[in-house]
Amino acid sequence: MDFSAVGAAAAEALTLASFIGIGGGVLLGYIVGVIPGLSRSVAISIAIPMTFYMSPFIAISFLIGLSKGTAAGSAVSAILLNAPGEASSAATALDGYPMAKEGKPKTALQIGLIASVMGDILATIILIFVAIPFARVALLFGPYEMAAILAFALVFIAGLSGGNIFKGLAAGGLGIFLGTIGLDNQTGLPRLTFGYTELMDGMPLIAVAIGTLALSEMFVQSEKLRYDRENMSVALKKDRSDRITWPIFKRILPTILRGTGVGTFVGALPGLGPSVGSFMSYGMAQKAAKEPEKFGKGEPKGIAASESADNAVIPAALIPLFGLGIPGNVSAALLIGAFAIHGITVGPLLLRDNPELLYSIFAGMILASVIMLVLGWYGLMVFAQITRVPPHVVIPIVIFFCLAGMMLQGYGTFGLIILMAFALLGYLMKKYDYSFVTFLVAFIITPMLELNLRQSIILSRGNWEILLGRPIALFFIACTALALVTLIIRTFRKGKPVANAPAD
Amino acid sequence: MKKTFAAILGVTMLTAPMAYASDWPTRPLTMVIGFNPGGSTDIQGRVLANVMEEFLGQPVNVVNQPGGGSAVAFTRLANTEPDGYTFLFGGTTALTFTPIITPVEYEIDDFEYLAAVALGQNAIVTSAEQPFSTFDEIIAHGKENPMTYAQQTPLDEAIIMAIAEEEGLDLAIVPTGGGGGMAPLVLGREVDFAYSGGTHAQYTPTGEMVVAAFMSAERSPFYPDTPTLIELGYNYSIEDYRTIIVPAGVPEDVKERLIAAAEFASTHQAFIDITEGNTFFPVVMIGQEEMEANVRRIRAATEEVMAN
Repeated sequence: MDFSAVGAAAAEALTLASFIGIGGGVLLGYIVGVIPGLSRSVAISIAIPMTFYMSPFIAISFLIGLSKGTAAGSAVSAILLNAPGEASSAATALDGYPMAKEGKPKTALQIGLIASVMGDILATIILIFVAIPFARVALLFGPYEMAAILAFALVFIAGLSGGNIFKGLAAGGLGIFLGTIGLDNQTGLPRLTFGYTELMDGMPLIAVAIGTLALSEMFVQSEKLRYDRENMSVALKKDRSDRITWPIFKRILPTILRGTGVGTFVGALPGLGPSVGSFMSYGMAQKAAKEPEKFGKGEPKGIAASESADNAVIPAALIPLFGLGIPGNVSAALLIGAFAIHGITVGPLLLRDNPELLYSIFAGMILASVIMLVLGWYGLMVFAQITRVPPHVVIPIVIFFCLAGMMLQGYGTFGLIILMAFALLGYLMKKYDYSFVTFLVAFIITPMLELNLRQSIILSRGNWEILLGRPIALFFIACTALALVTLIIRTFRKGKPVANAPAD
Repeated sequence: MKKTFAAILGVTMLTAPMAYASDWPTRPLTMVIGFNPGGSTDIQGRVLANVMEEFLGQPVNVVNQPGGGSAVAFTRLANTEPDGYTFLFGGTTALTFTPIITPVEYEIDDFEYLAAVALGQNAIVTSAEQPFSTFDEIIAHGKENPMTYAQQTPLDEAIIMAIAEEEGLDLAIVPTGGGGGMAPLVLGREVDFAYSGGTHAQYTPTGEMVVAAFMSAERSPFYPDTPTLIELGYNYSIEDYRTIIVPAGVPEDVKERLIAAAEFASTHQAFIDITEGNTFFPVVMIGQEEMEANVRRIRAATEEVMAN
């Protein structure tokens, strides 16, 4: 590692502008996290247009800070409302809510916060040490390897989030189809643009992302409003004894470390979101515990396990992103778009040609964790109040931001029409249980997949044997085939989805 | 009273355009780049945007609209409001070449060419680890072995195809989508040689990439020993003026402000440092009149080449 570059990066991360940018991101993320129904990818898709005025480093750190904030903030509503702000904090509610009802809401919140921050910092450090050597290896990957890995990521993500292969194929196929719209890369001839110049550079990513993620979610939420019962938030009282103590911390520390490990592992694999990480970590903590029957009744370890893994997933998901330029989940896919807007191509060459930026982002990520601790610790009371903001106030505000974000793109009315079309599509997909995660990831990686596949076919001159000299590509092609076969078998055996779609 | 009113009106009318000119711009501007991030146009454009921002007092946001060698960006530009708030920075091949081979929805007259601030250095590059480094060596190697070439625009593909046919090479041509996509292919030796619109400047100082020949009309002052294709006996060139282009119909005073910003940039140390130091493009200041003539001259010459 180049230490002078690291020093310079740390210096850049510690300017006032970056404090405001990253702190703002964490704060916004925290608020979004606290509000049930506003998810991380919703927040990122709406926030990308806000970063237009920021420098690339602050923009990316802002967005990563936002992700981190949502993961920590979602624990607040899980504990006080028994309604997780994020699907990934559902496991936190299992012990957090009982603990709050027992009169220890503050202790529960503090445990959640400390587990979040520790999981976050440790996973960020792992990211820094893993991403750099990984990117070096990834530099040796050519179009064959990239095409094979992209195909594998696509099938793997589809397999994890869909369950039913036909619905997965439909969602993924639609994503691929929409991803091919625009001018051909080589000849410059228009494909499926139907004379709309707006479509020449492809379906606008922001319209697809905000539409299927954010706006459609607001439709779903407003529909739910009609049936929703009043949720009563557990109030925080002045109680000196209600706080985290050193013995409690010592007791949960091993759980936090285990949770961080699980979260990091899950995050680094494409397709497995934070929900998988937190539930897996919760399950493992319960198995390892001396008194597993206490879980679900207000066990501090349960909160620590879920929250540390939930937060560790976020930095870990950046390992394949920075190493290969391949998104592991929807939030990471949106970050690729954000990088592109700021003129940066994510991938192994980023580390090689622009290490200062990467180091600055790492430094910014550590800073975000620290800010998160301070904000969470001292803002506990304020954030607890946000759980009382009713959805009929939240939803219109979010819809406004969705439309404003699209207008900033400069597509005019055309953009709004497309946005609405995708919102409707996203709503129907959610309603009829088609994986919009598969759809969106397919849409985002199709141009990359197409280019690499095309290069592979032309360079090999159609000769399959060339793959024999490419063991990495061959390995991933085999994995893709295996994943496909598993998916088919699973569909025909069970006839219905096994796993629910992780939202992220 | 009437007189005073008329006088005030007269003064207002006189000063209004001037006030407008010095006030413009009153909101952020958009600079369209017709290529992916990471390429030379993108690198220069982003510095230019910063410097213009300094001069104009409003943010200049960079938007990448890659595809079809900037054809997408020009199509979009032709359909934007000619208010000067949206302008394009980049080369002119999408106007001087692309319309010859592809039906496009824009023409040279749809735009105005305000100022060129840098001279393109289109080159044919290869990896330093290949057994060949000059263009003659590439051709000699190609006569014995099948070779691969990475294109970025239909124009460089057409020229290389013509040369390959002349020399009897067996050549497979792959798309890259831009300089950022070309570099890993060349450095990883996935392709034998490639077109570079200027990205090579990042990799020649480290000794990883070699310029085999220039496609520009003249040699680069930064690589004085590397010949041009014309010097090597192939009568093809890609002249590339990195130009600030607006849709036709932008008010005169707005154009003047943009040209003044371009002039400011051409003498600005940050812009010169990045453009000459990082991308190895000579910084120039070519005014609107000369650029309008250049674009039409290159188009006529390219049509002649393609007709053969």
